[in-house]
Amino acid sequence: MVDVAPSQPARNATVRTAALILAVLALAAGLLRILEPGRIAWIQAFLIVFGSLVVQAMPFVLLGALASAAIEVFVPVNALERLAGLPRPLQLPAAALAGVAFPICECGSVPVARRLAARGLTPSAAVTFMLAAPVLNPVVIASTFVAYRARSSLWTMVIGRFALGMLVAMVVGWVLGSRSKDEVLRPRSDEAHAVPVEPAPPEARWRRFFLHMGNDFLFMGRYLLVGAAAAAMVQTFLPASFVSKVAGTPVLDIGVMMGLATVLSLCSESDAFVAASFVQFGPAAQLAFLVSGPMIDLKLGALYAGTFRRGFLPMLVVTVFATTLVGAMWVMVVAG
Amino acid sequence: MKDSVAVRGTGHARSHGGASPRTWSPGRVAGGLVLTAWAALFWLLLLTGRDDLYLSTRTSWVVPVGAALLTAAAAGLIVSARVRSPRPIGSREAWVMGLMVVPVVMILALPPATLGSFSASKRPGFSSAGFSGTPDGGSGPLTLVDVAGAQYSKAGEQTLARRAGEQVDFIGIVTRFADTPAGEFLLTRYIVTCCVADATTAQVRVVNVPPGKFQANDWVEVKGQIYPLGKQVIVNATSVEAVTRPARPYLTP
Repeated sequence: MVDVAPSQPARNATVRTAALILAVLALAAGLLRILEPGRIAWIQAFLIVFGSLVVQAMPFVLLGALASAAIEVFVPVNALERLAGLPRPLQLPAAALAGVAFPICECGSVPVARRLAARGLTPSAAVTFMLAAPVLNPVVIASTFVAYRARSSLWTMVIGRFALGMLVAMVVGWVLGSRSKDEVLRPRSDEAHAVPVEPAPPEARWRRFFLHMGNDFLFMGRYLLVGAAAAAMVQTFLPASFVSKVAGTPVLDIGVMMGLATVLSLCSESDAFVAASFVQFGPAAQLAFLVSGPMIDLKLGALYAGTFRRGFLPMLVVTVFATTLVGAMWVMVVAG
Repeated sequence: MKDSVAVRGTGHARSHGGASPRTWSPGRVAGGLVLTAWAALFWLLLLTGRDDLYLSTRTSWVVPVGAALLTAAAAGLIVSARVRSPRPIGSREAWVMGLMVVPVVMILALPPATLGSFSASKRPGFSSAGFSGTPDGGSGPLTLVDVAGAQYSKAGEQTLARRAGEQVDFIGIVTRFADTPAGEFLLTRYIVTCCVADATTAQVRVVNVPPGKFQANDWVEVKGQIYPLGKQVIVNATSVEAVTRPARPYLTP
């Protein structure tokens, strides 16, 4: 959607392209109406889960895009540079705790973190914020409390989720170290070119706001759709009961619950209710589900792949899983 | 630009200190149209009540908020789409934007549907805050959420056991497995906390059912006495009637 020169000459869309796209969409609508694929049980289940994921997540992606655009247009560059000047031991906890004040789920925090890094916040702090916000925000903590309020493990889960979530987010930030934004962020066509479309006079702020909002929404939205489709496919065919076989096997059960959180791709505001339903698993495995799920899952994987450079995702997966595993094992030792 | 989607401004274009006149930016217009399509979807979900097919009552606020935000964002993007130096939009980018509208088309074109018995074996059972609303053994009518929650804790099981023989009235879908006897079925209702992706099941075994009368996925209302047996809850049906799908097909814990 960008108003900047493309990096390579590419075929431009024409009126014919637009007409063809509209025709394909109309044809798809007609075929769906006539063939009624929902008559096949698994297709219906897939379509419903996919639809629910995108209906729930798309407004949050837009909220993230709005926040991201506001940061780009209204926050002075030197404000973030001042934050970047804080000593690193202070930066990461501050970034993680900033997530407490950001009651938005994981889909919305990705564009915000990206913008923060692009505007001068150190990537380690921006990523720490991105990972911490969906775990530490008050809505998520409240939903965890409600889901476990009748359990003896209530405070293990509530405090454990907050503390371990913050720790894991900071460890990822620490592993990122002092890498620059160019080493972490994947270049985007609307930010890769220094030459603006309209060099003089500059666009009004509100115009730039909507341009950035639109770019972020369309950029993140497409990855959300890919991730939601993958998550819906897994949810359609994966019987939740299959994981029960490893319940009670130390360490392995923690790993399985982290894997399950990854493929289910639940919203962090509701995952506690699903985690609580796995009563065969102990608090440590359930806690691992609640901490790693909002940081690593299929739909987020697609968003990360579009946002960060290639090496980021493997580093993130290894660090989050390893730290969560060790943290959950400590919880297992302490809380039983 | 003989057939470019960029539309040159007419007399409405304003000059700014001698700068080139503003013309429509194809990228911004296309982005605005994508946002408009999504806004239209959210308004339709809201106005037709179909949001209940995707979200729980706790998160249904997302739809009006999303509709308003998407509308504002689409309007803002289109209003700001007249620029001084528009670039053409790439063909690939245009197709990607078109693909972003596919879920909108899909949701609007397909008839309204809910999770059926196919998903019942794929979903975990519901377990939440225990035996809600009846902490001391209880009063008030039993709901499927109460029953499902009680099945996963010892205290809940004991509390539910004290209510054995009570009359219940449950609505759900008929679920059958290969080994389900002809005179029985599982009554399933999905419990959704946030969106359907987190659906868990509440199930009771219904006995004393007329064989062959109800098929899988039928919505039925079951009246009868409840008999909790450990983790299994049996309803001895005195009446089973086909009903239409409730306006809110998913329960909220």
